[in-house]
Amino acid sequence: MQLADAIRPRLRINGQRRHVLSLWHVGNRQLAQIVSLAVVAVVMIPVVYLAFGAINAGQEGIDYLLRARTLRIIGNSLSLMATATVCATLIAIPFAWLTSRSDLPGRRAWLVLGLAAMVIPSYLTAVTFAEAFGPKGILQSLLAPFGVDRLPGIKGFFGASLTLTAVTFPYIVLPVRAALLHCDRSLEEAGQSLGMNRWRVFRHIILPQLRPALSAGMLMTALYCLSDFGAVAVMQFNAFTRAIFIQTESYRMDKASVLALLLVGMTLILLFTQSRLQLRGRHYRIGTGAARHLEVLPLGRFKIPALVFCAVVVFIAVVIPVLVLLSWTAGHTITDPVKAPLSLLMRNTVGVSAVSALAVTLAAFPLALLASRDASRFSRWLAHLAYAGNVLPGIVIALALVLFATQNMLSIYQTLPLLIIGYAIRYLPFSIGATESAFAQINPRFEEAARSLGLSPWAALARITLPLARGGILAGLALVFLNVMKELPATLILRPIGFRTFATRIWSAYDEAFLSSIAPPGLTLILVSAFSLAIILRRENAAE
Amino acid sequence: MSVQRTVLFALVFALTCSVFSPAMAEEPLTVYSGRNESLIGSLLAQFAEDTDIEVQVLYGGTSAVANQILTEGANSPADVFIAQDGGALGALAAANMLAELPEETLRRVINPAFVSPEGVWSGLSGRARVFVYSPESLAEHGLELPNSILDLTGEEWKGLVGWAPTNASFVANVTAMRVLLGEEKTAGWLAGMIANDVQAYPKNTPIVQATIDGEVLGGLVNHYYLFRFLAEDPNITATLHFFPGGDAGSLINVAGAAILKSTDHPYDALALVDYLLSDAAQEYFAQNTFEYPLVATVDPPVDLPALAEIEMPELDLSDLADLQGTLEMIEDSGALD
Amino acid sequence: MLAPEVGRAVGKLSLMEYSLQADGLTKLFDGQAPAVSDVTLRARPGEFLTLLGPSGGGKTTTLRLLAGFEKPTSGRIQIGEQIVADDARFTPPEKRRVGMVFQDYALFPHVDVAGNIAFGLRGSALKQRRQVERMLTLVGLNKFAARMPHELSGGQQQRVALARALAPNPDILLLDEPFSNLDTGLRAQVRNEVRHILLETGTTAIFVTHDQQEALSLSDEIAIIFDGKLAQVSTPHALYNRPVNMQVAKFVGDANFLPAIAHGMTAESRLGEVKLFHPKSGRVQLMIRPEALAVGFEERGNRATVLWREFYGHYQRLGLALAEGSELIARTGVDRYFQRGDNVSVSLALPALAYDDDGARAIT
Repeated sequence: MQLADAIRPRLRINGQRRHVLSLWHVGNRQLAQIVSLAVVAVVMIPVVYLAFGAINAGQEGIDYLLRARTLRIIGNSLSLMATATVCATLIAIPFAWLTSRSDLPGRRAWLVLGLAAMVIPSYLTAVTFAEAFGPKGILQSLLAPFGVDRLPGIKGFFGASLTLTAVTFPYIVLPVRAALLHCDRSLEEAGQSLGMNRWRVFRHIILPQLRPALSAGMLMTALYCLSDFGAVAVMQFNAFTRAIFIQTESYRMDKASVLALLLVGMTLILLFTQSRLQLRGRHYRIGTGAARHLEVLPLGRFKIPALVFCAVVVFIAVVIPVLVLLSWTAGHTITDPVKAPLSLLMRNTVGVSAVSALAVTLAAFPLALLASRDASRFSRWLAHLAYAGNVLPGIVIALALVLFATQNMLSIYQTLPLLIIGYAIRYLPFSIGATESAFAQINPRFEEAARSLGLSPWAALARITLPLARGGILAGLALVFLNVMKELPATLILRPIGFRTFATRIWSAYDEAFLSSIAPPGLTLILVSAFSLAIILRRENAAE
Repeated sequence: MSVQRTVLFALVFALTCSVFSPAMAEEPLTVYSGRNESLIGSLLAQFAEDTDIEVQVLYGGTSAVANQILTEGANSPADVFIAQDGGALGALAAANMLAELPEETLRRVINPAFVSPEGVWSGLSGRARVFVYSPESLAEHGLELPNSILDLTGEEWKGLVGWAPTNASFVANVTAMRVLLGEEKTAGWLAGMIANDVQAYPKNTPIVQATIDGEVLGGLVNHYYLFRFLAEDPNITATLHFFPGGDAGSLINVAGAAILKSTDHPYDALALVDYLLSDAAQEYFAQNTFEYPLVATVDPPVDLPALAEIEMPELDLSDLADLQGTLEMIEDSGALD
Repeated sequence: MLAPEVGRAVGKLSLMEYSLQADGLTKLFDGQAPAVSDVTLRARPGEFLTLLGPSGGGKTTTLRLLAGFEKPTSGRIQIGEQIVADDARFTPPEKRRVGMVFQDYALFPHVDVAGNIAFGLRGSALKQRRQVERMLTLVGLNKFAARMPHELSGGQQQRVALARALAPNPDILLLDEPFSNLDTGLRAQVRNEVRHILLETGTTAIFVTHDQQEALSLSDEIAIIFDGKLAQVSTPHALYNRPVNMQVAKFVGDANFLPAIAHGMTAESRLGEVKLFHPKSGRVQLMIRPEALAVGFEERGNRATVLWREFYGHYQRLGLALAEGSELIARTGVDRYFQRGDNVSVSLALPALAYDDDGARAIT
């Protein structure tokens, strides 16, 4: 099992027809469906909220939607999405290959460093990029001795693409690396025996096998780009999320709802397209058998260029943000008067992220079970609907839950459970994807065998399914954990009053430009995340 | 799942539960603050200490917090709302969610223009719209300081000016321009600025930074940001320019406070608003955030022209309610593209 | 159903008792033709009952119904004394005391061999260990107790799967194409071992296969299933010699068909007048097994030309063309030498089965 399984939403590893399992005969299936229905009902709260908002907006909302400008903004978002996704892919494939199949020195370290880019909040990456690559930024000051007086700057489309590429390429590296590690060696050997050179082997044999992993990673990246606000706001690129933001700024949640619903629609189209592609590529199975010792390819004279490539990627995506954070600490003397000890932030952030990850994983569980083990249309729809919250702007999810809680369940308002529900709505798909693909890789016969040996459905689940799916489930857990740690907009609104996390602290300091106060929580967040990543990857490699 | 792991999870869960569950005593006074904790946190703590009224504060972006209150409706736990800009207060006033403040509270404020005409919110501090600029760059380009915000569309300013088109203070400024100059002229100005290659920034501080760095010659900002930079580096030469003669660019915005109609702590809430208008609190704003105090008894921060000396346009802050119209105009102008 | 023949292996319990009774089993999947339709089966204690039929014909679904992995749309299943499925009841698989050996063995990959075998065992650790020992001895894998499944060969995995299924002493054992993943050479060997082990334990076994050789050689009784329907249940001997219709005849072994006109116990065909197995009249199709044809160089009798010859050492197959053009397959001993183009005599050595012209049942 791989961390990358988490980024494999709705991917069916097994091409075989899914059997309606014995597990579900005796009321357990209904139980799973009822629990799933409840989870999906919670996930749908924001969508229902949006629907009411959109109805309130009425004709005005529709007119707003159909304005030439709105349509152009959608175009902006789509081109940003396409560009960032393609760039991230072009970086991720060689990066994944070098860190999995080559004799690159320090492969593991490069991998962890590269993946760390994923955990830096996009607005932080954007801000530090703007600072580093600005017309009079750090890069310019380095180039000043060479007579470079001013750089063109990286605002707008270029800046937003660069930022999103930097923060999303790990979402492609993860599954692609996993696929590379599980590529069928004999196919490669066959290629070589047919006289193909390395490149042609890669192009014609390895790449097609990577297709499911690639498309899943690219989907994740595309959804991220579509829903990102931080990078486009800092880079002043007029993307769709900014149009939603403008409406919330002018207290027109009704019109914001219309736009957000459109975002949900675009997501569904993406999911649909991806699952169609996935179906076509289904014969490219990712092997699930025992891991073999894969040949490590010597890079030879390409070693230096490869090192340079990895260094540049890591430098831009991770080192620059870290360096800029450090330079702020050094260059600014005034600190934020707010006292928020790092230990407290750490405890809050790690605690709430861990509990959320656990809760999300549990909530995803019945849905993943149904998605991987029950062929009924109802079950499939439940699993699809659970993705609805993934791209909604945090503020939309948060306000929907505010409305829900204040009208119906005041007792949970501004408590951690509500905050965790907010995270669950946003990040459920990570966990469903990971758990589902882990389940899908388990031969259903195992469960049947256990049943025929006298185990109850739950005992079979506990003794067979869970141990076998553990890697995938933990990978999903980790991904939720990493994402919850940096979540901001929903946290700001839904948190218990006075509850502070790294993300709220970073925002608070950045908002009032207490730049020197950003580095401590910012760097700690990056360190904690990188540490978690390293542990997961180690576990994963130990398992191989 | 192995036993160890189960135990581990149980431990984590128990730990987090114990860490997070606050000891629920009597409901404290609940403040929703769109104003950053670093700018008001210690003041609220001081209030709690001075009055023995327990205070809990939710911090967030002003518009997000206002949206939150609007969504909460009558069930809002908020007693007091502190906002960075008048627009958010206006939105809550329009939704009829704010309680009327007593005469004597509102009378503290130096100028009736800085309180709600319906008496449902009060300004706490003033924030002047200014043109921050670098005198060196000005000299380098052989330019004179502009007499009006409208002058910035002139050819000579091409590519030299920064703005933050989605910033609430800027939006309020454009709203003021719409009121003072009319829709057409304002839209024309926006278009002129864009045609003049105005540099867009996400917020005010990067504009000040860009001015200091020489990335732009100057920019349209609130007056107090520069002081943060000066406090860190007194050698910074950038300075402020107030558009003279009641120019539309010389608006004074307020950060303010209001009491929610749904409050169950009306007296404590009022005590807080009064406290924020007290000399001590006003002094705090002047000294710590370099904003204009809004009571007669406290002087503005050093190095700033007195509030009375700023030639404000003839304008009622309640005229600035049409945020929506302004944002759409800004959007339509292409300022965000 | 047909009365069980005398002289077959008899289990521990009295003759009249069945280990398994399934009546009118029907299984419908949404929007599809019935996967299993009105199937009725009986298995006596210790009996080896085979479900034989083409792939996708409903055999596996039947087995899954018996195991409890699928719920029958209608019908009734009784295992021993216990009714495990009918209109009102449904016993989940874990309460059926049914062992199952899967086509892909489904050995738990995260548990070693001993752990796999012990999986279904209850009781004290000591008792469990003893039973695991016993099972390992039974399948001859004592040395492999600590191995992980992926460290075993296919045949060894197969035996572990069998041991695992047998360990809890199930009332019946279900085997789903258990030999299809093995090499041809290994298959015969493992097949015999399994048969031997089952005889030793006296376990009632229901076995699914699409391989008629396997079915004929292993089974006490064979149930032929076509398109979800039971076509015939008989001993291998009866099945081969008296298939109920042409479809069964074709599926089990080689079969020649010749049109004929029947008059009572004889029929007129291109092989002249032949004896029938049972009285029939009118247009019929004769079913003639290849070994029922006597081929020689006699002067008299029906003439045929050898079209081809396949030599197998202990027998040979001949393709024959009758004078009027019909083709027959014959199987003879190797005492005579035939070659292509030989003009031979052919006659029927045994009575023939006669089917109605449309291929329906012979015995009406």
